[in-house]
Amino acid sequence: MKPARFAYAAPDSIEGVLDALDRFGDEAKVLSGGQSLVPMMNFRLARPEVIVDIGRVGGLDGMSVVNGSLTVGARVIHARLEAPAAAMPDGRTEPLGGVLGSLLPEVARFVGHLPIRARGTFGGSIAHADPAAEWCILARTLDAEMVALRRGGERVITAADFFETVFTTSLEPEELLAAVRLPILGDDWRAGFCEFSRRAGDFAVVAAMTAVRLDRATGAISEARIGVGGVAGVPVRLPDAEATLVGEVPGAELHAAAAEVAAGEVDPAGDLHGSAAYRRDLVRAMVARALAQGAGAPG
Amino acid sequence: MSWVGRSIRRVEDPTLLRGVGMFVGDIGGAAAVRFVRSPVASGLIGAVRGPAYTIEDLDADGVGNIEAVLHRPDYVRLAQPLLARERVRYVGEPVAVVVGDTAAEAEDLAEQVELDIEPGPAAVGIDGALAPGAPLVHPDESDSNVMVAGEMATPGLAEALDRAHAVVDLETVSGRQAALPLEARGSHAVTERFGGRTTLHASIQAPHMVRTVICDLLGMPEADLRVVAPDVGGAFGQKLPLAREDAIVVWLSRRLGRPVAWIEDRSENLMASWHSREQRYRLRGGFDAGAHLEALQADVVANVGAWPCYPITWGVEPLMALAELPGPYTPEHYGVRSRGVASHTCPMSPYRGVSRPAITLALERLMDIAAARLGIDPVEIRRRNLQSEFPHTSPTGLRHDEGTYREAMEMAVRHVDLGAFRSRQQTARAAGGSQPGIGICTFSERTGYGTPAFAARAMGVTPGYENVELSMDPSGYVTARIGASPHGQGLETALSQIVADEVGTDPGRVRVVASDTDRTPYGWGSFASRAMVLAGGATYLAAQQLATQLGSVAAEVLEAAADDIFLADGRATVAGTSVGVEIAELARIAHHHTQRLPDGAAPGLSAQAGYDPAGTFSNACHVAEVEVDPDTGGVSVRRFVVVEDAGRLINPMIADGQIRGGVAQGIANALLEEVVYDEDGNILTTSLMDYLPPTVAEIPDIEIMHLETLSDATVTGAKGLGEGGTIGAPAAVLNAVNDALAHLGVELNEMPATPERVREAVRTATGTPAG
Ligand SMILES: Cc1cc2nc3c(=O)[nH]c(=O)nc-3n(C[C@H](O)[C@H](O)[C@H](O)COP(=O)(O)OP(=O)(O)OC[C@H]3O[C@@H](n4cnc5c(N)ncnc54)[C@H](O)[C@@H]3O)c2cc1C
Repeated sequence: MKPARFAYAAPDSIEGVLDALDRFGDEAKVLSGGQSLVPMMNFRLARPEVIVDIGRVGGLDGMSVVNGSLTVGARVIHARLEAPAAAMPDGRTEPLGGVLGSLLPEVARFVGHLPIRARGTFGGSIAHADPAAEWCILARTLDAEMVALRRGGERVITAADFFETVFTTSLEPEELLAAVRLPILGDDWRAGFCEFSRRAGDFAVVAAMTAVRLDRATGAISEARIGVGGVAGVPVRLPDAEATLVGEVPGAELHAAAAEVAAGEVDPAGDLHGSAAYRRDLVRAMVARALAQGAGAPG
Repeated sequence: MSWVGRSIRRVEDPTLLRGVGMFVGDIGGAAAVRFVRSPVASGLIGAVRGPAYTIEDLDADGVGNIEAVLHRPDYVRLAQPLLARERVRYVGEPVAVVVGDTAAEAEDLAEQVELDIEPGPAAVGIDGALAPGAPLVHPDESDSNVMVAGEMATPGLAEALDRAHAVVDLETVSGRQAALPLEARGSHAVTERFGGRTTLHASIQAPHMVRTVICDLLGMPEADLRVVAPDVGGAFGQKLPLAREDAIVVWLSRRLGRPVAWIEDRSENLMASWHSREQRYRLRGGFDAGAHLEALQADVVANVGAWPCYPITWGVEPLMALAELPGPYTPEHYGVRSRGVASHTCPMSPYRGVSRPAITLALERLMDIAAARLGIDPVEIRRRNLQSEFPHTSPTGLRHDEGTYREAMEMAVRHVDLGAFRSRQQTARAAGGSQPGIGICTFSERTGYGTPAFAARAMGVTPGYENVELSMDPSGYVTARIGASPHGQGLETALSQIVADEVGTDPGRVRVVASDTDRTPYGWGSFASRAMVLAGGATYLAAQQLATQLGSVAAEVLEAAADDIFLADGRATVAGTSVGVEIAELARIAHHHTQRLPDGAAPGLSAQAGYDPAGTFSNACHVAEVEVDPDTGGVSVRRFVVVEDAGRLINPMIADGQIRGGVAQGIANALLEEVVYDEDGNILTTSLMDYLPPTVAEIPDIEIMHLETLSDATVTGAKGLGEGGTIGAPAAVLNAVNDALAHLGVELNEMPATPERVREAVRTATGTPAG
């Protein structure tokens, strides 16, 4: 339970970090909150030769609303999303309102325990890419954009392209995840999140997030997003289940029908915490409940 | 006013709460020992290459084998080497050992050791180990994996079952659990350069016993080994047996002439410490028309892993089941076969409650199922079956002293207001969604096992008695040196209350010295809910002697008759007068003015007593209220009520603490914790991501009430209660889960009742196809 030998660098500027990543390439690992990386090193499942600690770099822990999206700096700790406040276009910092403003705290409380939320970071969770991580499911469901920096360059990666498989993303070893952009959902959106875990604070066995957009005139669903975690190597979207919703008016029967399609649409592998069949049962229950939550009806 | 019976604060706590305790890992100054463990369940060892010591080094030094013995014809006797010799028998078995300057370095060295192991087939679960042609765990010593098999039947059992009004058959399964102390195991040994005496600090429960066996193994006199258990961060039975690792740490320190320490990590602890409770019960209960359990037949199998534990042996689980299965009930006829079967898995040690959580699960499911079958209420069937005449002699000859089996249940049921619960339940059933359920569990807890109880098991080493030495120093403070080895239970506080009452002082003037073979009389340590009964009894007897000595000094000083002296509030007073003297002054006189002592009195103030009763039975009723989500199989425990009768309560707050911790472990047993192996014998639960102890969020407030039926089998009237929480909670929770889903026809008799198992049971009962 002691890590293998490693070297440690703690640059105090983004440039310093990018230089180090450039120099050491895949021998290096970024250390953010350390809540996933350090346990993996202690188990010797991760054996980076160089640790690049980004804790001394300024400018990575901001939240701001720009051009219809919320930019969350990579070093924003989970706890801050329990009561999110962001710099608005006019420069003032305000509590984040709206659908996203209520969704983020709802999701944040499921991330680990208080001490983990006080150290672990949003960007760390996204870069770590656990398929059941709440922020990864949120990013995939809302089609977030990841902003990656490397020495002398920046690129933006969509969630669909970012998550490749378990603990694996399309970030290059030389790249730093600097921020994540989440679309601000208008007030015609309804979102819900539901997860099942064995104990309070555990990673979800299965979690589901839903977001539907309602046609103001008819009350019917014009756009639907369903993302689930815990059923594949990455969080997945369920287009067939989404399609059953579009054009329909929300209600218990519709939710049940979509949940049924969702359960059939996933193809989970079984493990210690749940067989494939059991996970499908959970998808059915979680999707239905997330939809009901989003509709403002009791789960 | 007496100190016994008061919830005074624990003297142990300030140290622990301020983080200034001294655990093995705090000692430091030693090289780090790391064990290289088998990566496979079964195999033949070829070469071991690298910077490590192996069994060959131990053999070259003439180190012996561990022999954990039961003198029974059905018991397979083995000699266990300290490191694997020729074969490995479970994942995690120590094969070699390395020593590094730091823990990280030792881990690096361990990685460099290459083990050539030719993997063989493994016997894993109960069925796998019992199957014809199963791979044998000890092929040279036994042609089957059955290592111990007890059997008995009262005459007329078959006829009684034949004429029963209703016969209920039932299979219950208890998953494998790990005791999971907060502090894993560990040991630290230093050998003096001159004289060669070794001091071992180890996280253990029975220092004297550990000293004896290590000295036997290493061929050294016991006087040359001091064993100390410093602060111990939980043990629960996992630190009762000899750890092979501790013996090797002593050997290394003597061989290398260098302080060495082994601090077990969590993965080692989960994989290779000790497990417990993988058991299966097949019960047949014959009930008469009045719903009385007339006849009980059982077939019990315990998967006991790859090796026995010393000195308890791997008979402990199956033989306890055999002896204690009738529990609090009164079947006239009882028959049982109980086997311990070896497998290529981690060995077993007795974990808090030992077999009784599984025994109680089987019996309490039997009662609930029989009640449903016979159309009566779960409370009513227990009313008709619980012991009510005392002393009660069980079909296996155990004497139950007076208890309050029925009264405890009635009190618990009144407290939860069963009627109101049932109407809430009706409403919830009509509404659908999550379903509330309630479960009752009544049980007896055999405690304070003395020598007679262990002797009945024919153990090669027979634990039992406890010794206590009391002395009062010239300042008037009392030191109690005890053979028991408390590690968090609050025994120091409770013993000081007993001493204070007898000697007329206050508990703040009593110091308890424990867990150090240099400073305490020989004793067996703390396990099996025994310390309060045994060490408490011995303390009480010694304190009475000390009081007599003080009385005679006071009589001399006050020129009164010794019978007229009474000791209270720090003074010795002549009855009916205000004439008296400070006890502290008497202590001075007894040491510094011995010319003033009565003729023939020995100088000083000291007393010694041993105590060795046959044992006593506590009883309790647990009631669990749960909520079950039929869609996910998730269970949450909403309410938990305990009515406990443990005889005289020395410190009620400490008693409550024991119950609370035990119930939490019992809820874990019922719902969460399970050690899982795959079919090849690979262990899948080697971290706390996969082995799931409860957090505070999973445990409700526990409401505790007491009855106090003084035991006539112990000198203090106290009965043990250290294990009761773990014993009753699993069955209460399982009964509650079944109750919640009864309207769907669910029957679930396996624990832990994981969400997946609950969901599966719902699917089966409702005919919903998978997925
Ligand atoms: C007991 C426990 C329970 C937990 N429960 C949950 C839970 O329920 N849900 C959940 O989502 N998480 C849970 N976590 C994980 C926690 O949320 C972590 O904080 C998170 O997964 C990683 O964030 P971090 O800041 O700690 O990253 P680190 O551990 O520092 O890093 C994680 C990985 O991401 C890489 N990385 C980090 N930041 C960057 C960056 N800016 N650019 C490029 N690469 C980067 C690192 O190199 C490393 O590979 C739990 C953790 C623990 C210990």
